[in-house]
Amino acid sequence: MRLLIVEDNVELSKLLSQGLGRAGYEVDAVSSAADARDALSGIRYAAMILDLGLPDEDGLAVLTALRRGSDPLPVIVLTARGGLQDRVGGLRSGADDYLVKPFALEELVARLEAILRRPGQLLGRSLELGNLVYDTESRQTFVAGTPRTFSARELSVLEILLRRQGRVVPKKAVEDHIFGLTGEVGSNAVEVYVSRLRKQLSEYGATVVIHTIRGVGYMMAAEK
Amino acid sequence: MRFRSLLSRIVLLHIVAVAIAAVFLPLVLFWLLTSEIDHLHRESMQEQADALGDRLVQAADGTLQLNLTQSQRDLYSAAYGRYTYDVRDPEGQVLFSSRADGRAILPAGASSSGSISGARVTRTVGDRVLRIEVAEDLAHRDVITDDIAANFFRRVGWITIPILLVLLAIDIMIFRRALAPLLRASEEASRIGPARTDIRLPGDGMPAEIRPLVLAVNQALDRLEDGFRMQRQFTADAAHQLRTPLAVLRTRIETTGPSAGSAELLDDIARMSRIVHQLLEIAELDTLALDPEEIADLQAVCAEVVAAIAPFALAHGKDIALKGPDTPVYIYGNAGMLERAIFNLAENAIKYTAPRTSVEVEIGSGGAVWVRDRGPGIRPSERGFIFQRFWRGDNRDTEGAGLGLSIVRAVIEDHGASIMVGDLAAGGTEFSLRFRPAPAPSAAA
Repeated sequence: MRLLIVEDNVELSKLLSQGLGRAGYEVDAVSSAADARDALSGIRYAAMILDLGLPDEDGLAVLTALRRGSDPLPVIVLTARGGLQDRVGGLRSGADDYLVKPFALEELVARLEAILRRPGQLLGRSLELGNLVYDTESRQTFVAGTPRTFSARELSVLEILLRRQGRVVPKKAVEDHIFGLTGEVGSNAVEVYVSRLRKQLSEYGATVVIHTIRGVGYMMAAEK
Repeated sequence: MRFRSLLSRIVLLHIVAVAIAAVFLPLVLFWLLTSEIDHLHRESMQEQADALGDRLVQAADGTLQLNLTQSQRDLYSAAYGRYTYDVRDPEGQVLFSSRADGRAILPAGASSSGSISGARVTRTVGDRVLRIEVAEDLAHRDVITDDIAANFFRRVGWITIPILLVLLAIDIMIFRRALAPLLRASEEASRIGPARTDIRLPGDGMPAEIRPLVLAVNQALDRLEDGFRMQRQFTADAAHQLRTPLAVLRTRIETTGPSAGSAELLDDIARMSRIVHQLLEIAELDTLALDPEEIADLQAVCAEVVAAIAPFALAHGKDIALKGPDTPVYIYGNAGMLERAIFNLAENAIKYTAPRTSVEVEIGSGGAVWVRDRGPGIRPSERGFIFQRFWRGDNRDTEGAGLGLSIVRAVIEDHGASIMVGDLAAGGTEFSLRFRPAPAPSAAA
């Protein structure tokens, strides 16, 4: 896959090209908005990594022009600004994602993978955490390679927590996921399902933990 | 003598002036009154002398005759005893006199003598030049004019004192009114600070004498604001400029592959990046103008903060919880800024407390937030410093730059909110924040 890097800092541009090259991408690097426009008009890229602070023009102008021409090219914005308002501004102009400098190369690669995979592929994946594997297509669960069964509701809870592993899932989101918009929700229904799931996971010897964040929601993480 | 207050200086000088005026004004009036009475008296004497002159005729035989009317005769009668007259020739020889002894009533050349005061006119009758003199016995003077002069101080003279006092009161009022715009301007000026450099003193209603000062002060404030703006801009620019080299450094370490110490270097870069990020946030908060009408949901903000920081808390072996209503709590403010402030408080609570303790964020339905921890607490002597930039207390070996709480304070100040630090009875620290409650925003907004 061929990527376009638009970054005026020569060092960073070179290092990013190297790093992304090592991650298996072909990379073209340009250092100005004008060069970026030229490159985009000639070659079909898989994604663009765009720095906002360019010498000739604001990087956002390139992005806005691209989106005005209805080009769906995935774009990750790099910014040295990253203030409260800049973030919103960047995403509104049509960036698929943004990273504030300095960032981890690993993070950039992960974000690239995420936007390149979108949309369809995500659902076909299996979700993993610790020794727990969940196949979203067949809705099968494996703990340390052994298939295990859960009730439909518990599986729903497991799925949403696994999808957002390492992040807090608001209780309301879990409720919506289990019961949809129409279902009747008991006041402590979610708690009941979570505690059952927790108990079963520990019985099966899964190396994952479901943390309760009181007043907010739940978070699933690998056991330490 | 120096006075701190312009008003007291004016009042005191005014009182001195009034006291002097209260003494001299009646004296001057009295002097004017008596001289006017004398003047009137002399005029009436003059008229009487003229009337006598009119009665002087030269008979056909050349002798002079004085034909007084009955009323004149009564006037100069010895029985009435008040007025006297004589007529003399140029040599001073008395020709006629009201006195029985025929002597002159006044010494030659004098217009008054002792208790007698009078007037003298010269008349030519036929070929003779005569001098007519009229005098009044002051012992029997006109009662009314006498009374006026004698009773002047008792009846009239005192009136100057209340008039002067009323004048003083009116003057004080006028001065106070004239100084009122100055007081308003100083109230305005007291709101000027590093965070509010946009305030200017009002020139409206300011006395013309003071307006140049107001203008000069406002111009000085303009220049100061420019200076402040440049400094803030510099902070923001410097932070921006540091980010790209940090990105270069980080990426270089990452692309050269794992080597001895590279994990530590990445940690160092993360710390530096955080400081740069906080500096930028401070610069942004300094310049950000908050819309006073903006409404935020404090409950949503706190839920967001707790959700965002929970992984960090769990990684540090801490338990974090959100308490209070799970329905919206509306306050005036900007959600992004509030999130940053409460996040920093919660982050500190997690960082500076022992593992396996809990951190609690509680929302009050009236627009309050409490962030509590079970840590060692903050010494009362340190509480005044913790919100200062770069303050780190005893935690000098920890990673922070001491900017987190100063960001909290900036946000609180921008929101017109309050923050207090206290101890918990069971041990630990409690930060109490109070915001201004707002009505629920309309659905159209």
